[in-house]
Amino acid sequence: MKLIKFASITKKIALAAFGLFLLLFLPVHLGINLCLLREDGGEWYRNASHFMGTNYIVKVFEIVLLASVLLHIIIAILLTIENFLARPIRYKVATKTKTPFMSRYMIWTGGVIACFLVIHFINFYFVKFDLVEGKYSADMEQVDKHFQEKAIKLQSGELSEKEQASLMAQYQAISQVSMDKMDKNRKNLVNLTKDEVKLYCGEDFKHYEPDFYNMSLELFANKTYSIIYLLVFVVLGFHLFHALGSLAQTLGLNHKKYTPIIDVVALAYAVIIPLGFAAIPLWLMFML
Amino acid sequence: MSTLDSKIPEGQLSEKWTRYKSSQKLVNPANKRKLDIIVVGTGLAGSSAAASLGALGFNVKIFCISDSPRRAHSIAAQGGINAAKNYQNDGDSIERLFNDTIKGGDYRAREANVYRLAEVANSIIDQGVAQGIPFARDYAGLLDNRSFGGSQVSRTFYAKGQTGQQLLLGAYSALSKEIKAGTVKMYERREMMDLVVIDGQARGIITRNLQTGELERWSSHAVVMATGGYGNVYFLSTNAMECNGSAAVQCYHKGAMFANPCFVQIHPTCIPVKGDYQSKLTLMSESLRNDGRIWVPKNIEDAKAIREGKLNPTDLKEEDRDYYLERRYPAFGNLVPRDIASRAAKERCDAGYGVGAGFAVYLDFKTAIERLGRDKIQERYGNLFQMYEKIVDVDPYENPMMIYPAVHYTMGGLWVDYELQTTIPGLFATGEANFSDHGANRLGASALMQGLADGYFILPYTMQNFLADKIHQPRVSIETKEFDEAEKSVRAKLESIMAIKGEKTVDTLQRELGHIMWEYVGMGRNAEKLTKAIPMLADLRKEFWSNVRVTGDMNSMNPELAKALRLADHIELAEIMAKDALQREESCGGHYREEYVTDEGEARRDDKNFMFVGVWEYKGEEQEPIMHKEELNYEFINVQQRNYK
Amino acid sequence: MDFTLKIWRQENQKAKGRFETYKIKDISPDCSFLEMLDILNESLVNKLSHPVCFDNDCREGICGMCGLYINGRPHGPDDAVTTCQLHMRKFTDGETITIEPWRAKPFPVIRDLVVDRTALDKMIQEGGYISVTSGGVPDGNAIPIPKHKADQAMDSASCIGCGACIAACKNASAMLFVGAKVTQLALLPQGKPEAAIRVQKMVAKMDELGFGNCTNTYACEAECPKEIKRSNISRMNLEFILAKIVSEETI
Repeated sequence: MKLIKFASITKKIALAAFGLFLLLFLPVHLGINLCLLREDGGEWYRNASHFMGTNYIVKVFEIVLLASVLLHIIIAILLTIENFLARPIRYKVATKTKTPFMSRYMIWTGGVIACFLVIHFINFYFVKFDLVEGKYSADMEQVDKHFQEKAIKLQSGELSEKEQASLMAQYQAISQVSMDKMDKNRKNLVNLTKDEVKLYCGEDFKHYEPDFYNMSLELFANKTYSIIYLLVFVVLGFHLFHALGSLAQTLGLNHKKYTPIIDVVALAYAVIIPLGFAAIPLWLMFML
Repeated sequence: MSTLDSKIPEGQLSEKWTRYKSSQKLVNPANKRKLDIIVVGTGLAGSSAAASLGALGFNVKIFCISDSPRRAHSIAAQGGINAAKNYQNDGDSIERLFNDTIKGGDYRAREANVYRLAEVANSIIDQGVAQGIPFARDYAGLLDNRSFGGSQVSRTFYAKGQTGQQLLLGAYSALSKEIKAGTVKMYERREMMDLVVIDGQARGIITRNLQTGELERWSSHAVVMATGGYGNVYFLSTNAMECNGSAAVQCYHKGAMFANPCFVQIHPTCIPVKGDYQSKLTLMSESLRNDGRIWVPKNIEDAKAIREGKLNPTDLKEEDRDYYLERRYPAFGNLVPRDIASRAAKERCDAGYGVGAGFAVYLDFKTAIERLGRDKIQERYGNLFQMYEKIVDVDPYENPMMIYPAVHYTMGGLWVDYELQTTIPGLFATGEANFSDHGANRLGASALMQGLADGYFILPYTMQNFLADKIHQPRVSIETKEFDEAEKSVRAKLESIMAIKGEKTVDTLQRELGHIMWEYVGMGRNAEKLTKAIPMLADLRKEFWSNVRVTGDMNSMNPELAKALRLADHIELAEIMAKDALQREESCGGHYREEYVTDEGEARRDDKNFMFVGVWEYKGEEQEPIMHKEELNYEFINVQQRNYK
Repeated sequence: MDFTLKIWRQENQKAKGRFETYKIKDISPDCSFLEMLDILNESLVNKLSHPVCFDNDCREGICGMCGLYINGRPHGPDDAVTTCQLHMRKFTDGETITIEPWRAKPFPVIRDLVVDRTALDKMIQEGGYISVTSGGVPDGNAIPIPKHKADQAMDSASCIGCGACIAACKNASAMLFVGAKVTQLALLPQGKPEAAIRVQKMVAKMDELGFGNCTNTYACEAECPKEIKRSNISRMNLEFILAKIVSEETI
């Protein structure tokens, strides 16, 4: 039974190609994450997130990437169903054929990763679209500028009473703001809830951004989350272990000289990338 | 009696085939579509014939006993295929291939047929290359050759140790192309049960669907028998389990004469028998004799010690080994023809020098490994060595292989004329199923050559010559009384076998048949043994028809029933084999009569009295068959005593 | 050696199958697996019951006719063998051996352990050949073929069409079978003219017949009695990509 009307090899190549995008994105994501470990109060991390959140080229890639994730998952599920139907009567004795470690469980490891992605999106990605409330940061200069504009308006009597009250509240709050709401360089207000943004930056302040830096640190402070996170990256490692070599196989890149190199690269990739990601909670747990 | 017209064209040997082709009748394309051909058998001969005839535009139906043409036993041919390309510049030519083949067959083959075979052999190689057969090549990218028994040139083309497989897959691919094009229709898991003859012409067949047990009728303008040989009469042979001479026997019953049934080839290099449960013997390619040296211990005490497991063959010193082929035949050494190598092995074992269980000799690669290195040997014979190790559980790189002769090929078969037509008009026979080209012994790498030559390059011509006269003959209905009768008799036979419900299983009776044949009509025959065998076989036939046990039913898949049917026919074949062996009072090729030997113990041929083909005609149940003679006239070749010394 | 056999019995294609248990005694370790089944069958005939049907022919590992799923592995617990080449010495005395037919949607059971594998022929008929007819071809040495290419083509061509790759694959995919043929012909200059059309047609047929998709688990390679490599699948993928993207020929 064919659920999608494409040649089997076309589907397989599509699955591989979408996977390839994900493989390319992982090192980028890892690079940004590793900024967490810099003890600069999140400056690099914040700059990187800012770039990723605002650059137009990145935005195009973001759409491609999201589509890749979805299609990779959808095709994988459909193929699994098709493949199951290709053997309507199963064997009684489970297979004893020796096959490469993990190659048989790609759909399961993939499933674990997909579940984690949902959590990850709820934690971070959806905050960007205001679907979920997170923590926010605001550039002090922007806040200052906004305050100054309001102050000028106040002097020229353009503010309503309510606005005046709010401006006063903002003034009081900001002059008493605690150190943990400021980054190390005192350039940004950080770790703010939506209400706090309103309080510190004013009701109509628009230039705040999600504070992924503090959200991450907060999450990693949670031991349970950290352990789940670590386990997921072990699973990701298994998934990747089969991914790159499989990709070369699927795209027809098979060569007596290069295939062994690809195999080594695939193994290195499958170890280094998850290890990089896992390094962050480990560092936070044990080094700080 | 002169019912046997071999229809050899006039003219010089080298011109006969050309002359035939230029003067034969052809069928125009529009008429080809109106003519139906049935091909029974899908091995090299059948597949190549069906593909070629289909490509010409005839309507072809092909019947396969297994699920796919690729199962045919041609697939098991290992060593190679001969052709006189002379790529090696070692003095080969069509004449030399012709000469070697005639001589190898001990001057019991028809000159004109063999010459034609040698002539078209080169085209087979070209055809194979064009089909994508990955023949072995040298570093320049050109075709490689190896040498084979019975010749002094390297003319054997090969594809690792799987030449038969590759050639069969080539023919199978040509057949697949025609099936796709719709010119050939394939019917798998069908066994031919009877031939339907209408007005003296072969017009159809009855088949049994092995999957459902159903009997089916098929009509045509001509029928091609490409059903292989009958080596399984011996029960243990290198043939596959499904190989049988049953279809040929049906033709024999309907009037096709059977030629030289006693000519059976015993292959010298097979894995020896290990137990009663054994179902078949495995061949080790003759190509192994290129590099392997055959020996037994020189001293009978050493042989005894080896048999008792007290002595290891690798410990035996060089001077204590008897390389008997090299000793007896210095010119050809280990590469003497198969019949000679087989007899020499039997002679040593009968004299008490055998190893293993007493019926085995060594095939040793020690010298070759020292000379060429293990890698080279692995490259040449890797798959054969692996096969040996899987079966015997001994590493042939370290220990010498043990081999012993086994039944391999039947030179005899349905009698055919130059056009490959049997004595029934419209019934053709090709490949191992006919008798024509190998005389009393077939040279290695010639079976593939013959099957494909017949199928690709001979039948497409000669059948047209026959069919050209049939363009006005309408298709025949399968409801005629001849079809009714044929199906009725088949059904009656099936029912009577099912009704016996005796005590002995088919396998038991088959083993008994094999035992009689191997002991009395085997490698060394004599009048005493043969006269004993004939009544034993008659008794066995009676026992079969009164005491066989077949369980299950006839209307479903029932391999026991299929085996029983074949066994019945094999017993009958065995009887004419024994009779033919008895009448042939000479030793020639694979037929070795112990009474007819030279003073040196070599086979003694009798050209004066036995230079003929023994052609047997069926006269009815419980009637003695009659033998006719087709005299062999060697006009162009100088008949000599075979000498490989 | 003694064994307990659990064998799939099924009267015909439509019947419901079941496992039957048989005891078998005094089997020589040098006995081949199929000879062991012969012995069982002979005893069944002696007990007036219907013997177990199983496909077999050459019994020397080349025809591809035999094929049983034995204790969780196609062709049983030995590498690079067909069922007929498997010997009882590979089992332990007293072992229970479960024998199943090949399982795949395009391989319906005909009876007991016999399955219909004509699907393999159907795929070859779509283009697993070079379209030459008898005669009218150039000399065998007219086109030199580099030795390593000829050798590689030979490795691919050694497929015996037993179907173990499909039986082993968790997806019942026929990619190794089709890949081996596509690769063999793509490697040879004679096969090039039809390469683009061949791969498209054969893959389309493979999909149509209901074989599963390849997920690169390489069980096929592990169980192939002729040790045909997964690189054949990779080569087919490449041929397919080239055919779809570069070639102008469509099916």
